[in-house]
Amino acid sequence: MSSVFRILLRRLGISVIVLIGVSMLIFAIARVIPGDPARIALGPNATAEQVAAIRTEMHLDEPIVAQYGHFVTDVLRGDLGTSLYTNRPVTQDIVEFLPATLELVIFAGLLMVALGLPLGILAARHRARWPDHVVRVLTLLTVSAPSFVWAVILMLVFAFYLPLFPVAGRIDDSYEIARVTGFLTVDTLIAGRFDAFLDVLHHLVLPAVALALSGIGQAARLTRANMVETYDKPYIEMAQAYGFAPGRIARRYAFKPSLIPSLTIIGLDFAAMLGNAFLVEAVFAWPGLSRYGVAVILRKDLNAIMGTVLVIALTFLIINIIVDLLIAFLNPRIRHSTRAAT
Amino acid sequence: MTRALRILASNPLSLIGLILVSGIVLAALLAPWIAPFPTHNSAVIDFAHANQAPTARNWMGTDLVGRDIFSRILYAYRISLGLGIVVLVIATPIGTVVGLLAGYLGGWTESVLMRLVDVFLSIPPLVLAIAVLGVLEPTLTNAMIAVTVMWWPWYARLVYSIARSEREEGYVLAAEVIGAPTPHIVFREILPNCLPAIITKMTLDMGFVIIIASSLSFLGLGVQPPTPDLGSMVAEGARYLPDSLWMTVFPGLAILLAVFGFNLLGDGLREVLGVDE
Amino acid sequence: MTRTTLLAATLTAATALTPVFAQSVLRLDEVAVGELDPAKASDYADSILMFNVYDTLVLPKQGEPGHEGHLAESWEVDGATYTFTLRDGIAFQSGNPLTAQDVVYSLERMQAVGQGLSHLFGGVAAEAVDEKTVRFTLEEPYAPFVASLVRLPIVDKALVEQNATEQDPWGEAFLSGNAAGTGAYRVTAHNPQAETRMARNEDYFGEIKDAAPDEAVLRYSLEAATVRTLLAQGEHDISSQWLPPEVMRALANDGAQLFTESGTGAFYIKLNTAKPPLDHVNCRQALAHAFDYGTALQMVAITEDVSSGSAPTGAIPVGMFGANPAEEALARDMDKAREYLADCPTPPEDWDLEISWIAEVPLEERFALLMQANFAELGISSKIETLPWALFTERVASPENTPHISQIFVNAVTGDPDTLLYGMYHSSTPGTWQSPEYLDDAEVDAALEAGRRGPGEQEREEAYSALNDRLMELAPTIYGYDRQSVFAASDRVSAPALSDPSQAFGVDGMGFSFRLMEMTD
Repeated sequence: MSSVFRILLRRLGISVIVLIGVSMLIFAIARVIPGDPARIALGPNATAEQVAAIRTEMHLDEPIVAQYGHFVTDVLRGDLGTSLYTNRPVTQDIVEFLPATLELVIFAGLLMVALGLPLGILAARHRARWPDHVVRVLTLLTVSAPSFVWAVILMLVFAFYLPLFPVAGRIDDSYEIARVTGFLTVDTLIAGRFDAFLDVLHHLVLPAVALALSGIGQAARLTRANMVETYDKPYIEMAQAYGFAPGRIARRYAFKPSLIPSLTIIGLDFAAMLGNAFLVEAVFAWPGLSRYGVAVILRKDLNAIMGTVLVIALTFLIINIIVDLLIAFLNPRIRHSTRAAT
Repeated sequence: MTRALRILASNPLSLIGLILVSGIVLAALLAPWIAPFPTHNSAVIDFAHANQAPTARNWMGTDLVGRDIFSRILYAYRISLGLGIVVLVIATPIGTVVGLLAGYLGGWTESVLMRLVDVFLSIPPLVLAIAVLGVLEPTLTNAMIAVTVMWWPWYARLVYSIARSEREEGYVLAAEVIGAPTPHIVFREILPNCLPAIITKMTLDMGFVIIIASSLSFLGLGVQPPTPDLGSMVAEGARYLPDSLWMTVFPGLAILLAVFGFNLLGDGLREVLGVDE
Repeated sequence: MTRTTLLAATLTAATALTPVFAQSVLRLDEVAVGELDPAKASDYADSILMFNVYDTLVLPKQGEPGHEGHLAESWEVDGATYTFTLRDGIAFQSGNPLTAQDVVYSLERMQAVGQGLSHLFGGVAAEAVDEKTVRFTLEEPYAPFVASLVRLPIVDKALVEQNATEQDPWGEAFLSGNAAGTGAYRVTAHNPQAETRMARNEDYFGEIKDAAPDEAVLRYSLEAATVRTLLAQGEHDISSQWLPPEVMRALANDGAQLFTESGTGAFYIKLNTAKPPLDHVNCRQALAHAFDYGTALQMVAITEDVSSGSAPTGAIPVGMFGANPAEEALARDMDKAREYLADCPTPPEDWDLEISWIAEVPLEERFALLMQANFAELGISSKIETLPWALFTERVASPENTPHISQIFVNAVTGDPDTLLYGMYHSSTPGTWQSPEYLDDAEVDAALEAGRRGPGEQEREEAYSALNDRLMELAPTIYGYDRQSVFAASDRVSAPALSDPSQAFGVDGMGFSFRLMEMTD
């Protein structure tokens, strides 16, 4: 247990360094923007005095290092400035839109694991026979198109030609659910509205599948590759020689060791969905942070762009830490070792 | 080389990949000569033939101003492939050098370079490109810059992991013992051992660059009209679903085919060159 | 395996589940951002919000010219002084009673905030004579003053002041997220880029139809394909007017009704007269003559009977003061275009025109392509630029950042030509979304001033006629087509103000008064 704790500490340490780097990167991107940041931050209706005032307020007349210092202290205080686009504090916008994106990404992540792993196992168990070939072609296909193409195709087939699923939004307009967490799956249950909960799931299916498809393919490919490698290990061959049932071998001896390397990549893919959510949210009119991100980028809304990217990077890091910890828990070598893993 | 081709050919999927990729590259190169409407890559309008479903004249139908979608897809391939090549030609050497130095030298160089790589990898790839394009103007050149910025760290990481393990190999130690200069060890001894992995990754990445570039233009952050681009063609057509679906489906399929081709080929190369996944 | 079965079962259950409507809900969409602060309201989405959440002293008469009292019971005009008597017993949604003080405050707030349509109220002073009487005094005579009052929403002074702070004396933060009106609908939730939800105000002082929607949801920036699908599936009620004609046509073929709001406006292709080469009149005339007006009209036809455009005759739409007769339609003339081009100081290959289009209005992309092709015939090089609405409004703030060519739909916000033309062409109002021309011409200014001075219809007709001629000479704009707004709607909703000309208001967006709509479910 203590070594898992030590891994957590080490991971957190690296994350802090990385986060500082990310903040510098974002700060740098924001400062190469063509034009006067003060003018951009105020919008077109500002007078020269207002611009001068905001220059002082934004510390633009100070050296660049000091500017970065102010940026960091503001961020740490949770102050990301005001969005030009919505006229509200960026923090408030992010609090409003982030849960919708996280809900979508988490749901897609679950789909990725729930469908990707079994497909990979199936292919590995029937290596070089037709299930393997079918899975291989399918997985290659799913990773071969951007998620917006899948989103459009799914919408066309399952929302228009076969109107099985809603075409846009998170929940039907007729429901009024008090906002508690912003996660509608949770809020509907808190409100005790099971019908609304089902409606939320119903809305989640198409966007989540569109988002998860390429991840499902990746997960299946990796699981297959790792399991195939494990199957060649002597202890599996021994188990086979002892005449253990193939299903038991797959579950107990082949799957678990293969899971660990797969999980690392699945974690990365899972986090990468935060990026692809930009595309899926655009197609399904999903009121999430990514859709907000696109809107503010087209609008050159500097505060909002920086805030959005920072929050996405932070979420990405957190997801990766969680995945690392999961791996640490699953891996007996780490779990039982007495010295810190390197 | 002939052996590699033979192995590739013996694997039907890789063969399909090879055929797809060569077909698409040829089509892109020859677009001005084989496109039925070679002028339709620009702001041509022909309202008499606007918004038409596929016919013998327009195999994939026409868009809302009457341009031939098939011709535009051929031209769009030129943009996608060109962008992919430029990005990889710039990103691969940068990433490779960073990875080699970090992997071989170790110590402070390793820590600094790899933390830098970690920083870039801590922003989801698409988000980083979007952020870069968000502050620059959306043009083809800037799209290339944005994708390159997000791409090199992946090569750095790949080459780093190989270089780090090669560092302890006998042939490297031998070279060190006889006092070979560092550049020689890095570029003459270690680099060749990274090449199979790099080449495989580049083939697979051509597909992914096409995906990322089309995603950017889907969001309106890439190539601007009237230049044809697969992503913006899908975005444009998607507004007219489900009625004029040829405007969306064919460019979408065009992306799928190209990326699928590079993936199959990359998969085949992986086996030929013996690279782990 | 069991997990997949469970998932499948859940999905089937969800599919079978149809939401039960306890209340009638009207769902419509517009382009983001929905600006809720009535002093900042300017575009269509803002107007829909304003006309439902707030009320004005007067309303245009339906189906005929002139105005009738609304919050005001009656009014008297004496030269440049207008005295209004308020109706008794009107309360704000907060419960506060409406008084003359609120009217004065609303005007002062509008002027102080200085955004939206505040330019309508420059030089106007108001005083509360008593609780129920308010007197407006105009510095200069302004013939369409009563008409302009449809853009002066009355806000709840007490409530706003409660929520104002020292840095924000006019309560802008509060009013951008909350309502403080007397209107027929209350705001229950507002997210300026996603949606605004409104519920019927049962204490409303005026007429609300029994079958008017209990709730209205105005969603922002839905994709055309989404609206298309939602409408076809009965999950949306009224589309925005920005759907491309093909989509409208497909919806009409599927049985959707087409609502229209009649033409007090036009499609204007605005040329930045402050940026070379368009700072020279001959260069602009070359473009105006090269534009293919006939094809433009074909592009906006929806069905055989309904089109969102009719042939343009000049700067002023047919039917308004000063308009040219409908027979004198503008047409393409390449010979003339070449003549003008020969007298344009910049050679065509050096033009490098920026043709912009508003990202939320896909139709404009086609106009951009049409222009690019039209102008290419003259050898003029150009590039096309996509600008989201919000970014566009920011870019036009300075002449250098304003693209050479902007495509804008402009309507007379009060129904009076003054509100169509003054904001576009008077030299004192450059750099708004209406005036990316940056026109600065003394003759135009004089005609605009004469037009608003009046006082009689005769003088106004003459002034606007002269203005029209001058604007044709200067060609600051390519007058694309006279326009009416078309909306696709489900058969669940009836909206006489948008379908029956005798009920039409003649003011942009007012047809969307939800209280006059009926849900037929």
